[in-house]
Amino acid sequence: MHNRASRLLRIFIGCLSLALWIPVSTIAQNSSASADIEKEKLAILNSDASRAEKAIACKHLAIHGSNQSVPSLAKLLPDPQLSSWARIALEVIPGKEADAALVAAIPNVDTPMLVGVINSIGIRQNAAAVEVLTDQLENQDQDAAAAAAVALGKIGNSPALKALRPVLKVDSNRLRSAAAEGCILIAEKMLAAGESNEAIEIYDEVRNSSLPMQRTIEATRGAILARQSEGLPLLLEQLRSEDPKRFQLAMGLIREYQGNEIDAALAKEVTQTNAARAALIIQAMSDRPSTVLVGSLLEAVKDNRKPVQLSAIEALGRVGDSECLDNLMELAISSDTELSSASKRALAALPGAAVNQKILSLIPKSEGENYQLLIELVGQRRLQATPLLLEATRNPSAAIRQAALIALGETVSPEDLGELVNLTINPQATADAEKAQQALRAAAIRMPDQNACATQLSGAMRASRGETKGKILEILAEVGGPTALLTIGRAANSDDPQLQDIGSRLLGKWNSLDAAPVLLDLAKNGPARKYQIRALRGYTGIARKFNMPPKERAAMCREAFDTATRPEEQKLVLSVLQIHPHLETLNLAVEALKVPKIKMEALQAVLNIASKLDLKIPLQKIISDAGIEPVKLEIINAKYGAGSSVVDVTEILRKHVGDLPLITLPSEQYNVAFNGDPAPGAPKQLQVTFRIDGESGETSFNENEPIILFVPQK
Amino acid sequence: MSKPKKSLSRRNFLKSTAVASTAATLPTIIPASALGLNGSVAPSERIVLGGIGIGNRGTYDLGCFLQQPDVQFVAVCDIKQKRRTAVKKMADQKYGNNNCEMYRDFRDLLDRDDIDAVLIATGPNWHSTAAMTAAKAGKDMYCEKPVTKNIKESLILADTMERTARVFQAGTQRRNLPHFAFACELARTGKLGKLKRVYAHPAGMRSTMSSWLPPEQQPDREVVDWDMYLGPAAWRPYNKRLLDGFNFEKGGGFVGAFGGGGVLEWGSHCVDLCQWAVGDCPPPIEYNPPENGELVARYDNGTELVFREKGWIPLGSCPVRFEGENGWVEAGDSGRLALSSPALLEGREVDEIGGYPATFHVRDFLDCVKTRRKPKGNADAACNAHIACHAANIALALDRQVNFDNQTHSFVDDEAANRMRSESLREPWRL
Repeated sequence: MHNRASRLLRIFIGCLSLALWIPVSTIAQNSSASADIEKEKLAILNSDASRAEKAIACKHLAIHGSNQSVPSLAKLLPDPQLSSWARIALEVIPGKEADAALVAAIPNVDTPMLVGVINSIGIRQNAAAVEVLTDQLENQDQDAAAAAAVALGKIGNSPALKALRPVLKVDSNRLRSAAAEGCILIAEKMLAAGESNEAIEIYDEVRNSSLPMQRTIEATRGAILARQSEGLPLLLEQLRSEDPKRFQLAMGLIREYQGNEIDAALAKEVTQTNAARAALIIQAMSDRPSTVLVGSLLEAVKDNRKPVQLSAIEALGRVGDSECLDNLMELAISSDTELSSASKRALAALPGAAVNQKILSLIPKSEGENYQLLIELVGQRRLQATPLLLEATRNPSAAIRQAALIALGETVSPEDLGELVNLTINPQATADAEKAQQALRAAAIRMPDQNACATQLSGAMRASRGETKGKILEILAEVGGPTALLTIGRAANSDDPQLQDIGSRLLGKWNSLDAAPVLLDLAKNGPARKYQIRALRGYTGIARKFNMPPKERAAMCREAFDTATRPEEQKLVLSVLQIHPHLETLNLAVEALKVPKIKMEALQAVLNIASKLDLKIPLQKIISDAGIEPVKLEIINAKYGAGSSVVDVTEILRKHVGDLPLITLPSEQYNVAFNGDPAPGAPKQLQVTFRIDGESGETSFNENEPIILFVPQK
Repeated sequence: MSKPKKSLSRRNFLKSTAVASTAATLPTIIPASALGLNGSVAPSERIVLGGIGIGNRGTYDLGCFLQQPDVQFVAVCDIKQKRRTAVKKMADQKYGNNNCEMYRDFRDLLDRDDIDAVLIATGPNWHSTAAMTAAKAGKDMYCEKPVTKNIKESLILADTMERTARVFQAGTQRRNLPHFAFACELARTGKLGKLKRVYAHPAGMRSTMSSWLPPEQQPDREVVDWDMYLGPAAWRPYNKRLLDGFNFEKGGGFVGAFGGGGVLEWGSHCVDLCQWAVGDCPPPIEYNPPENGELVARYDNGTELVFREKGWIPLGSCPVRFEGENGWVEAGDSGRLALSSPALLEGREVDEIGGYPATFHVRDFLDCVKTRRKPKGNADAACNAHIACHAANIALALDRQVNFDNQTHSFVDDEAANRMRSESLREPWRL
């Protein structure tokens, strides 16, 4: 394994222009192999090997390096090109040697490498480096001084804190900010260790220092959380601040705050702040589902400011309970469309079994708009209430009947599906037919037993008349499964023109492999030519879109090709062949060259498949066998690119024009043949205007497609 | 390397992740009117945005931001002059002015007090370093994925976002697509029964290592700032092939201590969804090398996280599958779901939005900038998902089982694996 790795790496380094990266499956599995690799990589570091080899050796030493590697790696630290590579290893090699090497490097490296070394010391949390880092706080190079401040924060012990505190008062904004970052890291560490008083002291010192707002925000956040329940006044102070950053901080903290005393305080704030802020605070309140005061949200619903009302209604939908039902129902049927629709959404979402029970208990004694709303809620909340809904389907009000049908569609059980089928076949009123069909569809597609449902629907189709037959057929197609397929196949072959039409259309879009024989049979023996074509296209589509063995796909394509009587369908088969390049599909494309009306498309397919399979084919023989005649080809104009990033490649194409209606470029890669990529990363096209034997034509090709120019149709 | 120490932030980590998980089950996109977003938004009320590293993906993301009425994009930073100019043109055309400022060094952009939030869409080499620098400068951020390069960066990122009280959204936009969210909800809420396995699709499991290409003539710094492009990555000479993000970032050993490969590139999406499905709990504790195209990891409750190359129902790219004792669900980028039983839908209509648009994710971020709620792709969630990917990559590189301790954030009795938890940053950068 190891030798193979070295060989691969040598090959890689030697062929840098050929490979951009190498697979890593070569990491040693035991300490002896690891030691061997270390020895080998160290030899590279200590030789006059190229920088590339040394860089990659460092990367290996990050895994295999030991104390033995440290001196050689440390030598690279002052090197602007290899310093970062050396630190990749030095940062992770355990032991005091690596710590000491980084510290020892400080006086010997310039910035920016010095900053890197200091950063690595911080990552390693080397407590022995506090003194030397403290010295660096006075480095005139601000990058180095700031790096030292953050590194001290990462080390996070008392001497580090002692060194950082005075820096919070220095003149340099940058250094003060870095010291604050370090102090906050130390405070976090103390808090995690249970030293909350000390942490609070640091947070307070930082937030009361003159710092960029973001550092103040971080310290204030810590100060509030560290104080736990005693942090509430400070949190509310931020919430009331005119400064949007402080307000934002408070909004985030509301979600993190542990005590429940905050909930009442927030409810009060809602009444005292402006509408925009109140709406946002309500959102934050509702993100505390275990302690939120639902009563205060109900109060906010009655607020005279619309944004506050809407926010509260939305919040109730998430955290409200059955006590909110009456208020929301009242608003849901109000004339204010905004409040009404928000309330309807909230009612549909309102959590809890008690809400469901209350809705069901209200239905028998409701009427009018309330009755309709409750029926709608049964559907939206998917409650089991078929008897109540069936009763509603007989209501004199069309709106209520139709709401009940929709609700049935959402809720009816397999046992009661027949009721909905009956309502679809024999609607209460003509106006209900569409809703009944819609409901039946919704119910049918979620039935657990697909075939049982399809059997029921098949019976319903036979029992129904007119348009309903077709509608049920469409529902059957959505249900799917063998019974549905059989029923639709029979419909397509029936003597009813309407069913033939709908059946063949549904089969043409069928989305499973088992439709293939049904479609092929219809394509060969269908009752009308137009349905045969439709079925053949569906059959070809199945060959295109489903995973199957190449031989099986090629056989399907051959069946389709042999059944096709028009060039349109033959070309469709050729397009499938190109999507699934394989020797089997290539053979069929070559055979298609013999069909005069599609020989150019077949040639394009042959070239495309051969190109994708990376096969060299006898082009001249193929062209000759296909009887493709010489032509006079002239390139009028050719552009390559995407969007507005296009280049003129007319002259390049002209250079490669011969006496055939195709152009072979010196490279299969357009970007190479056309001297560059005009639109990196974008899908590009080649657009060509041309004349063949004096007839003008225009066409376009996707990037790297074979360039075959079709003789324009006269 | 010293073991990462427990801190206030880390101790609160599991708790806060759990809070995020609870919140994630709730509708986080609150009505615009509740936030005062009805109709047009006065300039003074808009979220002022800057962009850092706006290439192809960034331009798409930026397009999603520019659709939002409460965003004002004012500045772009890129190390490539062409990109700076293109993004300025895009922004100025949108606003009909000439106000978008251009920067080569993102620290100059971050120094602007008027900027509230930044879009970070550099290559992955820069993501976490730029994100943490932005957080320390007081900016909220939407940061493209993969977010971190190794385990330690993942932990520090989560701690930093908490300490700085910043809103962080990883570019894991599938968390805000209804069908993925529904699939995760089924798993998380027990509708599938006790979870047995969650499957992610890493699309190319391989571990890769650093590269160093032959030097070429370095362009003028104003045209391409190579030093800033390298940023925290170890030094190497200019070579224009490395300017291609794919070569530089996704294979060149810049992502992950020993490479990113498909595990990180796709895992930051699909492992992230698996993490959501298991309730955003701490990452798996056991990782095995791949066998027959499957790398199996185990959570401490026995549920398996399987990185699977093949065997998917064709639902588009980035598929995930969750299997419980009572059922399974699979979802992919086509926007479609496949379920063991249609009854799992429980009558719900799940919007099928294909093509993984980021618009909803961007909106979630902007709402959270205002409410200060944790977005769906928050730093804690991203941290756990990325740790799972990095640990899987380490098992892949070592070609043996590794065991991770979520209390100490280290591998158990495994020095080689522990050394791979982090990688030093090039000077002067630090986390």
